[in-house]
This record gives sequence, structure tokens and C-alpha cells, in this order.
Amino acid sequence: MQTIRALIVDDEDLARQILREYLAQERDIEIVGECTNGFDAVKAAIELKPHLLFLDVQMPKLDGFEVLDLIGSEIAVVFVTAYDQYAMKAFDAAAVDYLLKPFELSRFRAALDRARRRLQENARTPSADELRRAAAAPGQFLQRIVVRDNARVHIIPVDQLDYVEAEDDYVGLHSGGKKYLKQQTISSLEASLDPAIFVRVHRSFLINLNKLGKIEPYTKDTKLAVLSDGRQVPVSRAGYMRLRELVDAK
Amino acid sequence: MHPLFRTRAAFLLYLAVWVPLGAMFGFMLSLSGGLTLPESTAVALPAVIVLFVLALTPWYTCKALPLRSTPPARLLATHLITAMCVSTVVVLVTKISAAMFSLWLPNCQTRLHSAIPLAAFMVLLIYMLSVALHYTLLAVESSKHAEVLSREAELKALKAQVNPHFLFNSLNSISALTTSDPAAAREMCIRLSDFLRNSLRLGERTSIPFSEELALTKTYLEVEQIRFGKKLRVRHDLDPACDDCEVPPLLVQPLIENAIKHGVATLVDGGEIAIRGRRVQNVVCFVIENPFDPDAPAARKNGFGLISVRSRLQARYGNAGRLETEVDNNRYRVVLTVPAK
Repeated sequence: MQTIRALIVDDEDLARQILREYLAQERDIEIVGECTNGFDAVKAAIELKPHLLFLDVQMPKLDGFEVLDLIGSEIAVVFVTAYDQYAMKAFDAAAVDYLLKPFELSRFRAALDRARRRLQENARTPSADELRRAAAAPGQFLQRIVVRDNARVHIIPVDQLDYVEAEDDYVGLHSGGKKYLKQQTISSLEASLDPAIFVRVHRSFLINLNKLGKIEPYTKDTKLAVLSDGRQVPVSRAGYMRLRELVDAK
Repeated sequence: MHPLFRTRAAFLLYLAVWVPLGAMFGFMLSLSGGLTLPESTAVALPAVIVLFVLALTPWYTCKALPLRSTPPARLLATHLITAMCVSTVVVLVTKISAAMFSLWLPNCQTRLHSAIPLAAFMVLLIYMLSVALHYTLLAVESSKHAEVLSREAELKALKAQVNPHFLFNSLNSISALTTSDPAAAREMCIRLSDFLRNSLRLGERTSIPFSEELALTKTYLEVEQIRFGKKLRVRHDLDPACDDCEVPPLLVQPLIENAIKHGVATLVDGGEIAIRGRRVQNVVCFVIENPFDPDAPAARKNGFGLISVRSRLQARYGNAGRLETEVDNNRYRVVLTVPAK
């Protein structure tokens, strides 16, 4: 029987203590570490290579969704939360395992069994992006985007995002003259952002309306969006129509 | 009490309406009866005064016959019969005053005779108008009453609300302590029960002494302190002169809850919440200060906070109660000002 390496992430001592206590009774589980905030969790997930994560939703630095976003879908995750009506709905919909504090041993074992099965089947954890969108309260949009390059974590507030460019399986996030690469499709990112501020002006480009300077004609059918810092982004015909609609609505 | 007597302005307005109405009545008498100005004044004035009083009586009949639940036939019949009675009384008063003044005003009575049908009809009309006015007044009253009721219901709902996140996290702490430190688990059960019981008890009252609100807040902090351990530190600096001031219940506790949720809980090493209370002359000034992480992830939407405290301040004190927030140097400060009563 292969040993499962587990990482516990929760900012409360007592909450970690319960997980430790329950996990101590499982012979195939080894606790490789405990973290009290999101940054540490991402670091530990990379360095300690756990198979299974017990992940609190609300924590300092990064929340549970952001941690999942940064560590990818290979690690099995069991979310642990006290009460969050929107998150619970999202977990149910995405068939993600979660424990509601306080939880009993039998409920914990059931969640653990499912996690074992998923690990055996090499099933991927649903993407953080999709999960977070389902867990958002109505009218609540993504506030910031987290990006990891190796062990470094960058946090980009969406109001500082100038534009987004699609690059194969990645998106290039342009903010304050810097570019960050993130593995995500432009459509899924677009779906998480406030549609009153971010406009898909082109199949491969998404711009922040608040950073738009002016629009210039380019070819017969297309135009160029000039951002306030002078950078140019192509605008397709359909993109121009979407842009006009938003600008006129304001 | 009749609504027109409740405020001076309403009464004066009613009086003002009667000046042209009375003049019209007198003018009508002098036109159709051929009375001179002094004659019509002498005859009309007592009648107008009687009508002035009788036109207030629909308040009671209208209340007894609500528009919605009374059959229209009964509604019309009752008001019409009352109107005719009133009209008869007023006409009688007119006749009596004409008779009384007959010594000074020769054949006034006979001339008045031709004016009677029109006068009776006019009184009937005035009375029916007054009925309509009273139904309007009743509608205004009931909408005001409904507003008060809905506000009360809203406050009650707020008071009864304990943040579920807090409750479940506390229960989880107790669950953890049961094996590691049973005495501490029991202690926390008792603290949590104290808090729940007191917030229910205080929530039922409309105002409580500040000292009781602070005691509730202390119990709340004791529970949270077990949960957060060394991460949560609290410093109290309270002027005993605040203790007796009456405040709406659960005004401070949600602010402390926010200071933990959006402040101390966002910091890896936690932090200190400073609570200061001062009484300056007849104002109580209460300050809660906490550090926070400006780069913390956006809070998940749960519980309630500043908005409810603000609306309750507004409901209780109008503009005399204030809640101001300041951010400086990664510290968040809430300043609550209420009149000391």
C-alpha cells in the first residue's frame, strides 16, 4: 500500500489539531507539513510534493481557491470550511470533497476514502477558476489574479490589469508594463471578470475599459485600441461592436 | 386622538381651510336669501362653527368602516345618513340663530327660507368631502404604521443573527479541545453559551446601558481568543463615565467582529485590537482600531457589518449618531459617536 502524503492548511491551531488527530488513525497517511497561510501552502505544495491537501477556504495572504489555482490540479484537495453558502454550492456542483466544521470522524473517513479513490484513478481536481466562479456571490467578480513563476507568487489586482492576450494554452497578463504568463484560457478568465469593465475586443485580446485611451481606424474592418500608456491592441469588428455597446451604456 | 389635533401645524391648516369655506357659506346665504353682509355673518357664523366641529367626526366613522372590508352599499348608506343628520343640525342652527337675531334683523327668517335647500345641500357636500379627507388620513396613518412595523421586524432579524461562520468555527474549536483539553472545551462551551444567551436577551430590548454591550463584547472576544490563541490580542481603555449611557443593543459587537474578520484574521501573526471609549460632555466616542493586511484576499460575503450598524444609528439618532472609518498605515479605525443619554 502506497503512503499518501498529506498537507494540512488552516490558520487556526485547533482546526489543524482535529485533522492531525483524525489522520493519526489512518495508517496509509503521512502528514508532511502544516501551513497557516496561503503563501506557505503554495510553497509547501511545491517543495513537499503532497498527494492530498486539506485546505481551509479563508486564510491570510491567499484564500483556498487561490492556493488551488497556483498548485494546479494534480494534487487531490479536500476543502475544509465553517460556513460559506456559495462555496458549499460550488463544491457540490463540482463534486469536490469538502468538510464542514465541525465534522465527525465518520464524515472525515468518507471524504478521505473518496480522496484515496481519486488518487488511485489519477482523477484531476476541478480547476480553481471554474470552482471560484461557481462559488462567487451574485454580482461578485474576480478582484485579483494570482500567478506563480516557480516559487514566486505574484498578485495582480484586476484594476491594475491593462489588457490580456491569449497565447496558446496561456494568457499573457499585462499590468504596469510587466507581463505575467498564466495557464488559463482567455474565455475562462473573461468569464470571471466584471463584464462592465473588461471587454473582449478581439478573439485573442481582452482590455480593461478604464485603461482605454482612444480608438483609431486600422484596416477596413478592424480598429486599434490605444491604451492610456500608448500600447496598441487590435480590435475586431465584433469586438468594436461590444466596445461601443459598453461605452454607450455608460 | 384626532390626527389634526396632534400637531399645531395640522390644526392651523385645518383652521385655514375653514376661512374660505365659512366665507363661501355666508356668501351663499346672502346670495340666495338676499341677506346683507352683517345678516349673513350673524346667521352663518354659529352654523360654520358647528360644522367645523362636526366635520371632524368622520375620523371615528371612517375608522369603524374601513374602505376595504365594508360593503360599498353599507359604506354609502352610513355616510349619507350621517351627512344628512349633520346637514339637518347645521340648518337648524342657522334657523335658530336667525330666530335669535330676528329682533335686530327684520324678516331675516323669511328671506333665509329660500336659501335653506341650497345650504343643506352644501353642508352635505362639505361633510362628504370631509369623509374622503379622513379616508386619506387613515391611509397615511396605516402606511406610517406599516413602515414602523417593518423597520422593527428588520431590526429584530438583525439582532437575532449570529454570524454562522463564527458559530461553526467556535464549535469546531470545542470539538478539537474535547480530546486535547476537556476543561478548556467546557470553558469554551460556557463562554459561547453566555454570548449567545446574552445577545438574544439584549437583542430583545430597544436600548441597553453601554456597560452591558461592553460585557457582551468581552464574552465574544473571550470565545474568539480561544479560537485564535496568541494571534488575537485586545487592549481596553474605557472611561467608566460611558457605562450608564443607553445605546441600541449589538451596536459594538458587529464592529469587533469585523475587526477580527477583516483585520486580525488576515494577518499571519495576528494583531492587537485597541478599544477606546470616552465620554466628552454629552457625547460618547468609541474607537476600535485594528491592523489589517492590505493585500489580503477579498473577504467572502458572510454575516453583516457596517451597513446594519449605520442604518440602526440613523434610525435611533438621526444625524446625531455617526460611524466613521479611517485607514492609515495599514491600520483600520472605526469611530462611533452617539449622544450620551
